[in-house]
Amino acid sequence: MRYEAPEKLSEQRRNGDEPRVGVFVCHCGGNISDIVDVEKVVEQIRKRSGVACVTTHQFCCSDPGQAVIEQSIRERRLNRIVVAACSPSLHELTFRRAVARGGLNPYLFEHANIREHVSWVVDDRKEATAKAGRLIRAAVARAARLAPLEKRRIPIHPSVLVIGGGVAGLTAARDLANRGIRVRLIESTPFLGGRLAQLYKIYPTGQRARDVIGGLIREVSSNPLITVYTNAELVEARGFIGDFHTTIRLVPRGATERCTDAQAAINACPEETVDQFNLGLARRKAIYLPYKGCYPSIPAIDWRNCTRCGACLEAGGVGSIDLDEKPREIVIRSGAIVIAVGLNTYPPRYGEYGFGQFAEVITLAQMNRLLDPTGPTQGELVVNGRRIRRVGFMHCVGSLQHEGVHKPMRDGRINQYCSRVCCTTTMHTAVELKTRWPGVQVYDFHEDIRTYGRRHEGYYDKVCRQGVVFLRFDPLRPPRVGVDPKGEWPLVLRTVDRLTFGEELEVPLDLLVLATGLVARDMSKLVDLYRCSVGADRFLMEVHPKLRPVEMATFGLFLAGSVQGPMDIGESTAAAAAAASKAAALLKAGQIELDPFVAEVDTSKCSGCRICLQACPFAATDRDEAARTAKINQALCTGCGTCVASCPCNAIQQRGFRDDQVEAELLALLEAEEPVGV
Amino acid sequence: MDATELRVEPALDTQTAWEPRIVGFLCLWCSYTGADNAGTARMKYAPNVDIVKVMCSGRIDPDLILTAFAKGADGVMVLGCHVGDCHYISGNHKTMVRMPLLRRVLEDFGIEPERFRHEWVSAAEGEKFSRLVSEMTEQVRELGPLDWKARLKECTGENLGPWGGEHP
Repeated sequence: MRYEAPEKLSEQRRNGDEPRVGVFVCHCGGNISDIVDVEKVVEQIRKRSGVACVTTHQFCCSDPGQAVIEQSIRERRLNRIVVAACSPSLHELTFRRAVARGGLNPYLFEHANIREHVSWVVDDRKEATAKAGRLIRAAVARAARLAPLEKRRIPIHPSVLVIGGGVAGLTAARDLANRGIRVRLIESTPFLGGRLAQLYKIYPTGQRARDVIGGLIREVSSNPLITVYTNAELVEARGFIGDFHTTIRLVPRGATERCTDAQAAINACPEETVDQFNLGLARRKAIYLPYKGCYPSIPAIDWRNCTRCGACLEAGGVGSIDLDEKPREIVIRSGAIVIAVGLNTYPPRYGEYGFGQFAEVITLAQMNRLLDPTGPTQGELVVNGRRIRRVGFMHCVGSLQHEGVHKPMRDGRINQYCSRVCCTTTMHTAVELKTRWPGVQVYDFHEDIRTYGRRHEGYYDKVCRQGVVFLRFDPLRPPRVGVDPKGEWPLVLRTVDRLTFGEELEVPLDLLVLATGLVARDMSKLVDLYRCSVGADRFLMEVHPKLRPVEMATFGLFLAGSVQGPMDIGESTAAAAAAASKAAALLKAGQIELDPFVAEVDTSKCSGCRICLQACPFAATDRDEAARTAKINQALCTGCGTCVASCPCNAIQQRGFRDDQVEAELLALLEAEEPVGV
Repeated sequence: MDATELRVEPALDTQTAWEPRIVGFLCLWCSYTGADNAGTARMKYAPNVDIVKVMCSGRIDPDLILTAFAKGADGVMVLGCHVGDCHYISGNHKTMVRMPLLRRVLEDFGIEPERFRHEWVSAAEGEKFSRLVSEMTEQVRELGPLDWKARLKECTGENLGPWGGEHP
């Protein structure tokens, strides 16, 4: 075992660094001093070795309070500062700056939390005073061993990689380029636009989705600062904030820019397959354009269904198609990365409300395709050859799931969260239905309706006026879908309506639309490459939802849009704009300052066992093969200290949290108590 | 661990004045913030747990916990982010693996497992934090002081202890 603490301090003293700790105890205007006997604490702390002065102040964080600290450092030659006040989350930075203005290194400062952890949680004056005394003396012991630290400064490569060509990725790319930043945007499919291109009309403006995404794509594709790579797969990622190197594989799209008569090439193709863009409601050729006006306007070959028969070669014209092009890999260098890979809609399982069993049970996304005049039915409300007269909407399919009622997804978890966008989309779709076909009867089956956003409630009001019938079911007894025994209607939905106090109802329907929820995509490759934090709901996690939104724990990575949870289009673009501003701010600074609490290796103690290589969540630990010891990449290290605890040789220490510093704090806490009389 | 390291400062007062001394190792991002949350909400809880802040529960070397017990702690708590919520992705996974191993070591040292508690407390779980602290304090109070001196005497006198009385 270690117990190096005393020697470390004596070594420090031999080096002429005799601690002269200045302690400042804050009254916090009574928040602290009403409970803690500040004078008693001052008396105790003053007696401790290494303490040069103890001062109290009504508000240490105020300008005069900070001035006292600065002045004391100069006048009393203090070289370590302890402030006992509120939580460091509030004012640690304030005091570090004051310490720096006083002429000391800002990391020669220690914060004792005697408000949130003492005066606000302990009623008894004697106990509170004793606890404050313990925390302050521990802070003093730790402070005495603090060493000056410098923030790490890392230069930033002036370009950004945006992953994902949907509305969030496009917005982020456009905003970055508008600030004069070089952007490379990669998209895994052959066409830009993402899920938004598949929608029909979008709330709350009622605009055509394709107009919105089309405008955005035009802005992006015409900006010379943005390079777009479609059909791009992530292969490898190296580097760190300021200097990421991402390897992507570009899968050839088959057709080239010389393809002048795309439609002829498509018509010539003999292979047919399910049209994913129309969500299985139509079929398309193996060489295809998803919709009129898509970008790029060059068709792409779906290699899984192409037989390389060469029919398109002849029809498309000379040089229009290249079936033999090989995939190539390129490395993209960037200073920051914006992740905007979006999400999926929940795939209903076979038989869930009759999905898969009946052609008349479709998802809300499919309904959007049916309503689109350019869609598979040219906007006609016809399903399975039947004109639709009675439509039911089923809410919360794949969201707000209940343990024991719903079967878990493949990872064994159910989706307990609300997908947020489906209620308003359902209302919006119902408005569209009732407006275009006033004779169609609409039934809405819900457990709960949440039209939470600004101007969303208007849709609810409108469908109520348009005569949509609402039926509320018990989530533990969801409605059942079956066939009509009389054979008049394709479906009959049996439910118990809570709005009529448990009336059992049979609702015959032509069409049942499942308002499917939103689920995270399979991002295992991305998560693995960039070491992203994944939440229990499988979406990526930001550092802090309120204090540091859209930032990831790995420095230099930003989240744009629904990759971090269900969002509507407005929320996605807002998040994308936030990610773009944060990335831009990072790049414009030219360099970045990082906390100095990184780990370092004492190579004289390192046995080269490699245990720390497995411990590091960020792959910051590496092995210096020549020296046969561990080494730590300072730019990758986030300062968690996990490697420190894993090292069997005590060869790794974390700056600011060295073993001797933590132990000194611990030992001071555990000293025998002085009796406190009040 | 040799005998000299087990020396403790003598307890000042008699049994009547004894209060459990518990050290809580808390990660900054979740549990420390959770403790702040309890403070902001003015939740009252036992004053016996003194907090040592670390950046991540993965930093908590089991050595530190043994040191705490050796130097006079009657109990130790380790609180970190919930699995999946770690600010450092998987620092707490390491903690999750280390702590059960440490518990077995503690048993070998003759330290009751109830003196050690490892829990996850998120930044929003001030209520859970205050409850855990009060529970732990009562639990340790029932066990009484971890009086190393008395235990050592008992061990050497009657040939008990992890090495059968023989120091390796």
